[in-house]
Formats: sequence, C-alpha cells, structure tokens
Amino acid sequence: MNPTEELVDLLDLERLDGDLFRGKQPESARARVYGGQVAAQALMAGIRTVPTDFAVHSLHSYFLLGGDYSVPIVYDVERIRDGRSFMTRRVVARQHGRPIYYQTLNFQLPEDGYEHQDAMPEVGAPETGFDLVEVMRKGGNDEADALGKEWGALDVRWLGNTRFGLEPDDGHVSQARMWIRLREGLPDDPAIHVAAFTYASDVSLLGSTLSVHDVNPSKTQMASLDHTLWFHRPFRADDWWLYDQWSPSAQGARGLAFGRIFTADGTLVVTAAQEGLIRPRRAGSEGPGVKE
Amino acid sequence: MPRDAAELLALLDLEKLDDDLFRGTQMPTSRPMVFGGQVAAQSLVAASLTVDTPYVAHSLHSYFLQPGDPSVPTVYDVENLRDGRSFVTRRVIAQQHGRPIYAQTVNFQKDEPGYEHEEPMPDVPGPDHESVRPVSRRVQEELHADQWNVADIRFIGSSASGLEPDPRHPGRQQVWLRVSSALPDDQFWHRAAFTYLSDMTLIGAAMAPHGISFGRGDAFVASLDHAVWFHRPFRADQWWLYDQVSPSASGGRGLTLARVFQDGHLVASVAQEAVLRPRKES
Repeated sequence: MNPTEELVDLLDLERLDGDLFRGKQPESARARVYGGQVAAQALMAGIRTVPTDFAVHSLHSYFLLGGDYSVPIVYDVERIRDGRSFMTRRVVARQHGRPIYYQTLNFQLPEDGYEHQDAMPEVGAPETGFDLVEVMRKGGNDEADALGKEWGALDVRWLGNTRFGLEPDDGHVSQARMWIRLREGLPDDPAIHVAAFTYASDVSLLGSTLSVHDVNPSKTQMASLDHTLWFHRPFRADDWWLYDQWSPSAQGARGLAFGRIFTADGTLVVTAAQEGLIRPRRAGSEGPGVKE
Repeated sequence: MPRDAAELLALLDLEKLDDDLFRGTQMPTSRPMVFGGQVAAQSLVAASLTVDTPYVAHSLHSYFLQPGDPSVPTVYDVENLRDGRSFVTRRVIAQQHGRPIYAQTVNFQKDEPGYEHEEPMPDVPGPDHESVRPVSRRVQEELHADQWNVADIRFIGSSASGLEPDPRHPGRQQVWLRVSSALPDDQFWHRAAFTYLSDMTLIGAAMAPHGISFGRGDAFVASLDHAVWFHRPFRADQWWLYDQVSPSASGGRGLTLARVFQDGHLVASVAQEAVLRPRKES
C-alpha cells in the first residue's frame, strides 16, 4: 500500500456493534497518537451512524489524554439528535477504559441558501513552497523525521510565516500559510475526502501560534486542546488546498489559531479553529510534551 | 428576560438539586423560546460550580439541539470528563421535558505563564460617537429587545451600511456592547454575563452582504453552535467591541467569527454558526 492507501485503511473502521467502532493504528516512532488521526477516525465513526444523504457541516472536539499507539482506539457514538434537517452525534474515543477525546458532529440534509465567502489571499503556487517536514527539520524540530514518516500521505508546501516569507499584516500578528494535498488520488466517496482533510487539518495549525515568537518548537511543549471545523462546501482533499492560518492571541501558555481552507480556484471550503497548549519548556525538563 | 445586572445575576444563580445537577429559572418573556445566551450562560455556571478554584474557564464549545421552553425551568446535568493537574473538563447537558436542548463542553485551566501576543484593536468610533447608533426600534421589536435592558448595544456599522467595504471580507459587523449596570468584581460573573450577551447580534455579520436583517424578518435564523475562548480578564459591564467577520454563508447556514476587545486588548474570541434560511414567500 502507498501512504495514501494506508491513510484510507486507517479511516476504514471495524464495526464492533451498532454504534461502536474500532480504529487501527499506524506504525509510528512517536510517543502519542497524532491528533488528526483520532479526529478523522471519530468523524468516520459519526458518519457511519447517519443516513448517507446527510452531510457533516461542523465538528467541535476536545483532546483529553495522549493516545497510545500500542492499542487500537474504540469509538463509541451517541445519537444526540435525529431531526428532519439536522442530526447530531457525539463520539467518545477511548483506550484502556478511559476517554482520550470527545467529538460532537452536526449533519445537515443539503439545502440552498444565501452565499458569500471571504476572498482568497494572493499567494504563490504550491511549487513555490517548501516541504514542511524539511522546514521543521531545519527549524530544529526533533520530531520532524518521525512526523514526516507518519504524514507520508500528505504533500505539504509551506509558503511562509510572520517571521519568514509572508508580507507583514497589520491586522494579524501571527500567521502561516501552506498548500496541502493527499499525495495520491482518493476514492470518490465524499466521506473519505472530509475525513482525509480532517486528518490533515491538525498538521501545523497550532504552529501558527508561534509564528511571531522566535522559539524552537522542540523547546516548547505543544498539545492540541480543542479542534473545530466548519465545512462550507464540498471539495477534494487530493487536489491542492491553501491552509491560511492566523493566531489572534496567545496567553497563559495557550494559543488560539484559526484557519481558512481555499481550493486553488479560490473557493472557501472549510474554516478551522484550534486552541493548544504552548508551554515554554524549562531547562532540564524531560521528554516530548505529554497531554495530561 | 433580565432588565438589569441584578436580574441577570438572579438568572445565573442556579439551584443545586444534587451533586453535578442544577436547575436554572426562567424570567417572564414574550419570546416564544428561551434566549440561547441564557442557556449557554447557565450551563457555564453549572460547569463552574463543579470545579474548584484556582481553575478558570478558558473555552467552551456547544451545540443548540432544541428550542428551549420558557414556561419550565432548565435542568443542567454536569459530567466530569477530566480532572487533570493543569486542565479540567466538564460537559453539561441542558434538558427540559426529559429531552436535551443544548450540550456544552467547558475547559478550565490553572493560571500559568507563557508566550504572549494579541491582534491589535481596530480603529473604530467610540460608543458615544454621534455615528454610533443604539438598537433601532424595529430590530428591538423583532428581537423582543425591549426586554433586553440588561444589555447596552450600539451599532458602529456593518458591510451593509456604516463600514467601509473590505474586499477581503464581504460580511462584517462592529458593535459596542456592555451589561447595562454594575456586576460584582469576581471575574467569574463577568465571563458568565459575557457568555449571555455573546449570543446577541453575531449572525448580523452573516446577514449583512445579503440585504437582510433581523428587523425585516426576511430570514429564519437559529443558532446551531456557539464557542467562546477567553483570553484575558475583562469587565462585561464596561464597553467591549464586538468585531465580527462572517467568512462564509452556504447551504442555509452562516458562520461568524468575532474578536472581543476592551481597552485595546483582545479579551475573547467567539465563533457561531447559525441556520440562515430565506423565508419562503407566502
């Protein structure tokens, strides 16, 4: 299997019982499960419990504990609402009998309405960007190689951030931009595209909270606290999409980041929000960051 | 609905039914359904009552599930999702008639130092500037805002009128807001009262590009979700700028992201998606 097929395989959950699913684990050299994987598998569990004519339009989630790669993750779906226009699901991801992640998802029967969207910023083409893993390696990120291997399905071309490569913006003090796509083609099933995107959406978003700060990410304990996505319009995750990220605020060892996702033709397809722990690591403190 | 800070505080003063189970009262209202900000604020209070100091709420995420019934109290059932060293998480289900009407998750943190940055406050006319308008009577009637005396609301403008067009953001709105009378000093009450007010005006930014407004009643509007991130301490009873951008409307929904500034500092961020459905000609 190529890395994209491996990702699709990760998203293919085993149904244990009615609304109870199990997700397998990839090979990883990292200490704790990549958050985007848990978010994407939880999303797939939710999707499997609603009729196929309903489409997911938003998810809100909290990360509670670091995931353990050595055992599968069980996804338990609760049916919160079955309405005519909207359906709501809540997914608990658990390991060792403890919840590690909670996600609530809302689904809608497609309808028409008012249309507007933010304009896409002017940016360079994907070919002008730098390979993200290479950028992380040069930036002294100790996990770059392990992440590069784990994110093998993702083609990420980093365009720059507030301190390097982007024009200063008076309104947004901490920014980063990159193009992302799946390296190989995905099956046409829209659920796979939404889930593969969700997997990719946790890459780098929290990094934009440090764009304005001259710090080595390896010297900072970083962990996603929450993760939110609003899906505006359908799109293919295996075509290039621009991840336009900005961080309005950091304080109290937390940073908040927003992201807008545009397809290459300028269509706004998703808005993302994530708050994370960004804790300066004191000299002598140990090891990679751990979620509590 | 509360007419002043004292009535708002009474509304937020929940009755403890059992451990992790609370009841919130209603106030007389001519609205057919409970105001979303009331359910959000009462839920935040319920969650906070199960968390010890020094943990402080720094974020909440929530979904509105069913319209609330103003004729019966709301029961808030709190589930303990995590008691960590640095972070504590609670989930609250608001229920009426045996059914969940709203689900909120709240994260709390013990204060610690870290990196600091914040976006600068935009240059806007102050709340007393002659160009800044109080809520119009038409909007008040549509929103039953005559009962909203707990909030002072003054519109700076939207992309429909009053604000310079911004080609990057077709949907914008800027509003000054505050609780109309003094709250106690405890930051807890300011975050709860802010949460109450934060459900007001938001979807206006998503309506602005379409020549529609609350007042004309030409769209059906209902909040779908509501998220708040608290960045810095502030006072809800002093003017704060609600700087709103709607990045997108599609599929009968509109999303609004908002920044909250006070005294030049970014004190909170808010996100809300709402149903925004053209009303059928009848």
